[in-house]
Amino acid sequence: MGAARPQVRGKPGTFLRVLDPVLFAKPFLRKSTHVFTLVIVSGIISNFALLLVALYVGDAVSALQSGAYPLVLHFGLLIVLAYTISAVVSFAVNYGSQFISQTFAFNLRKDYVAHLVRKKFLFFETQTSGDLLSRGTQDIEATRNFILNMFSTLFPTISLIITAFVILFVISPYFSFLLALAVPALIYLGIRSSRAQRPIWRKIRETYGRLGEVLQENIVGQRVVRGLAAEKQEIEKYSRMTQEYYDENYSVARSRVTFNNLMPLVIAAVSSAIIGIGGYVDLISRADVGGLVAAVNIFSMLTFPVSFLGRMIVFSENSRAAIGRIQEIMAAENEEDVEKSLQLLSPGTLSFDHVKFSRGERVILKEVTFKVLPGEFIGITGKTGAGKTSLVNLITRYYEPDSGKISFGDRDTKEIPLSLLRSRISIVPQEIILLSGTIRDNILFGFEVGEERLREVSRIASISDFIESLPAKYDTLVGERGITLSGGQRQRIAIARAILRNPLILILDDATSSVDPDTEIAIFENLKESMKDAIILMVSLRESALSFANKVLIVDAGELRDDYGGEEGLNVNRL
Amino acid sequence: MGGRKDSMSTGYDAVEDRYIKPEKGGRTTLRLLKDILRQKREATVFGIGVMVTAIAGVLYPLSLGFAVKSIQEGNFYMLILYAALFFLFFVMQFFSNRLMNLSAVRVAQGVIKGMRDRAFERLQEVPLDFYSNVKAGYLISRIANDSETISDFLTYQLPSVISGVITIFIAAGIMFYFNAELAVYSLIVLPALGVFTLVLQTRVRSNYLRTRRALAAITGNLAETIAAIRTVKAFNVEAQTEGSFEKLNTENFKSNMIATRLTSSYGSVTRFIEAIGILLVIYEGSLSLARGAISLGILVSFILWVQQFFNPIVQLSQLYNMYQNSMVGASRIYGIMDSTPQEDSGSTDVSTFDGSIKSNEVRVVYDQNVALDKVTIEIKKGECVAIVGRTGAGKTTMTNVILKFKFPDVGDIEMDLKELTEIRTGAYRKLMVPVLQEPFLFNGTIYENIEYSKRGISKEEVLTLIERYGMSEIFRHLPKGLDSPVGEMGRNLSEGQRQAVSIMRAFVRNPEIIIMDEATAQIDARSEKMIITAMRSFARNGTLILISHRFSLITLSDRIIVLERGSVVQEGTLNELAKQDGVFKELYKRSVATYVNRA
Repeated sequence: MGAARPQVRGKPGTFLRVLDPVLFAKPFLRKSTHVFTLVIVSGIISNFALLLVALYVGDAVSALQSGAYPLVLHFGLLIVLAYTISAVVSFAVNYGSQFISQTFAFNLRKDYVAHLVRKKFLFFETQTSGDLLSRGTQDIEATRNFILNMFSTLFPTISLIITAFVILFVISPYFSFLLALAVPALIYLGIRSSRAQRPIWRKIRETYGRLGEVLQENIVGQRVVRGLAAEKQEIEKYSRMTQEYYDENYSVARSRVTFNNLMPLVIAAVSSAIIGIGGYVDLISRADVGGLVAAVNIFSMLTFPVSFLGRMIVFSENSRAAIGRIQEIMAAENEEDVEKSLQLLSPGTLSFDHVKFSRGERVILKEVTFKVLPGEFIGITGKTGAGKTSLVNLITRYYEPDSGKISFGDRDTKEIPLSLLRSRISIVPQEIILLSGTIRDNILFGFEVGEERLREVSRIASISDFIESLPAKYDTLVGERGITLSGGQRQRIAIARAILRNPLILILDDATSSVDPDTEIAIFENLKESMKDAIILMVSLRESALSFANKVLIVDAGELRDDYGGEEGLNVNRL
Repeated sequence: MGGRKDSMSTGYDAVEDRYIKPEKGGRTTLRLLKDILRQKREATVFGIGVMVTAIAGVLYPLSLGFAVKSIQEGNFYMLILYAALFFLFFVMQFFSNRLMNLSAVRVAQGVIKGMRDRAFERLQEVPLDFYSNVKAGYLISRIANDSETISDFLTYQLPSVISGVITIFIAAGIMFYFNAELAVYSLIVLPALGVFTLVLQTRVRSNYLRTRRALAAITGNLAETIAAIRTVKAFNVEAQTEGSFEKLNTENFKSNMIATRLTSSYGSVTRFIEAIGILLVIYEGSLSLARGAISLGILVSFILWVQQFFNPIVQLSQLYNMYQNSMVGASRIYGIMDSTPQEDSGSTDVSTFDGSIKSNEVRVVYDQNVALDKVTIEIKKGECVAIVGRTGAGKTTMTNVILKFKFPDVGDIEMDLKELTEIRTGAYRKLMVPVLQEPFLFNGTIYENIEYSKRGISKEEVLTLIERYGMSEIFRHLPKGLDSPVGEMGRNLSEGQRQAVSIMRAFVRNPEIIIMDEATAQIDARSEKMIITAMRSFARNGTLILISHRFSLITLSDRIIVLERGSVVQEGTLNELAKQDGVFKELYKRSVATYVNRA
């Protein structure tokens, strides 16, 4: 089911891997090291000030105990001062950690898109689009969330514990000794907790992914579901999966909840011990209780942040899984150079010289050799799955041949910069995607031409009458996937888009399959007239369309034949 | 600020939101509350857990206070007792927290399971037009992602806020019990904090909306880039794509930082107010102590209580964003659940098809375009009827009407003299199988896709059928045969193979009627010939409705109906139409010529 997602590797026992996301985040935060330092230093100052409050409260209590009321006021003002310092500095902690996390997400997202658009064609054939989207959005957010919490919660909590240790030591070394006992217990609980949760989180993520897949398929395939009256079957399948999801979430909650609540309990055990032991000492020595109150107060200040530590494990788990998925995209594999080039390309001959192409085990093209001269209109046909689309995709280097050479105008296509090659060779694929925006946007597609030319290409693609009949004409909005337009209209817009760039080779890969035969022929006639020097390659299965070509190549079991009309027994009027 | 807000709106989801009509704000909260309370047992357990947690939370400062008192009085045994009690209250909290958290998970998961299931069910019932207005991506991000936000909110944020607020109330009660005057001084900062929070709310809200829109814009942009990636590459517009993304990415960064500036200052001011609160308690406390109105121990408890107030209150301020986030999600999911289902007016069950399917003066209008007008046709059992015409002539609308995917605006359809609106849709559709223009396959193997249509059919049976219908050639190249995975949307297969699977899916059902809507458009001539042979053998017993451009397929038919601009313009056998001047002859000039010559 689906593409197997590699897990974050590593020995399961290494607890410090919780911090893996930090290592991942580092390169995206290169320029924010000063903020980094500021946040950590502010965190320490803020916590120190906060713990001073506890100390001053204790002192105030001692003063009260001894009836030294002016001193009480003194400590009261110190409390306000310490709080104010902590308040001001905590702004830096909160704002700074958000800044770090947003900078991280900004840079990561930017890189993600940069890598994504450079991936080779084959890459997209192995990935689901929903998956690519959720990596770029939710996975990045999950990681950002961890980075944010690390700076705003985890680091401050750790520094809080360390500062608490120091202050407790000042009050009484025994108290700090008790805290020192608690720390290994907390770490132990953290390790146990993350170990217990990890495998279940993994399962939850898988189930979640499958839930999305099933939903998407159901929606996209609604007509089939209804046509086959399979609604009940689908509802049951989905409900079974949501139940599975419920169960897994509950089972992870059981271990999470136990460990998360044990952590504050450890802190409470230590405070109780302090009350008992510290109180006993005070009782015998008749000392004031200020130190004791301060110590217990410090521990109660620790309880809340410590109880949050458990959630950090969840955040870390999620973000580590997310990072694993993001890294797959960020790896430089399967990328191509798409930088713009200043070179030029002029009309020439397209030739395939003993081209072999296979996908995995399966040989698609055995040994294909042919030549097409400028101005020729060539039909390509052949059985379903014979390799027609692969053949034309080799020309724009969507795929690379195993051996043999494809050249255009005496240059090996491998040596022509991709951007140049693709800007002068236009392919209209089987599946047309229109972007949300206007018809104009969709035809121009990032290219600047005058209104005249826009109309002209629309006329050539036999879509101008339709567009002109719309109230908003070229400014009519189309849905994200061009839903409001029929298949034939979408195909014709895609053809207009392709010829707008004045290609030297125009490839129509079954691009008129939803256009009726009359209009199809009209388009071909227009193309032939307006693109005299260009090569037009048309993949089609329709006899009416093929009959328009100068020559028809048949792809058969990975080889070419040009005896169209012979064995197939179809009548073709050669022009 | 208003102007900038507008320029930020990307329109992503806007179309859907207009169509789906998300539940209104206040009602959403109420409905969510109802959904929560529906989980009676869990909600009750949660309530008990919260109460115990709050009580224990209030009592432990008190036991510290009494411990201090025991020290002052030099009572060792009481000191140990209170120290033990102090711990006991935490143990109590451990169990009650555990209970509270677990039941919160149950409630949250129960709520979202219910939402997901009901939304999914509704998606099987809405009219198909729904899907031309609502993108799949919209529905998926609502049902899959938004419900996670709701679950997070119900699992983490809401429980801690509820228990925090209850703690405040219980603590306030106890404080008044011990010393009303000091209690007033302790609580006096709360209204100040409340007013301050309220004043900030509007700004928080607009900031929040901004960040949300910015993130939605990023998601929308990325979704589109991925969907159109092949086109992006084909036209070498990678750099432009990155550029437009960068703009939205920057906007998102900025809006988040603006929002953070506010929330971070809020946190700082809250801390300052907390300081004032403690100062007031110490001030008034020392006066009371001097008067002998309270003991030192109680004063210590008061100080702890005041400090205890602030954590949940700070959380409360952050709650707003989470609350808004999940309410927006919930309102949309409720919107999906509330979408009007296609009325299945029919209650009559049918199990056979004996006579004919007939349309009477059918008229269908999409937006303002007339797709079908006064169409009256009849298809008898056992007949093979072809419906032809140019693109946009109304052929696919015709199949939609016959399949009950779409109801005519005027006129009606009858099967065996029963009006279609009176026949139960499920029973009606069991009689026929459509083979649609765009073959849709589920991610799985070829076998799984065929088995989808007839549960429990064995691989051997499928293979026999493929053989019998002469389609084994089409699948021959696949290394794993029927066990070959088809990939997402069947992408591992060629268009032709996909269509062959979709045709097999129809054949295994052995239905009364097969409706083929351009199903062979992308199949090569030889495979098509096989399919035609297969269709012919099906047509011997079954009824076949063919929608096709392709002449070769049309030769199969007993009768041809020609549509033009939504109306029937010609009708007759191939021979008759081949001789008539008209749309048919125009459409198939060359083919007709060959056909007539050959005949």
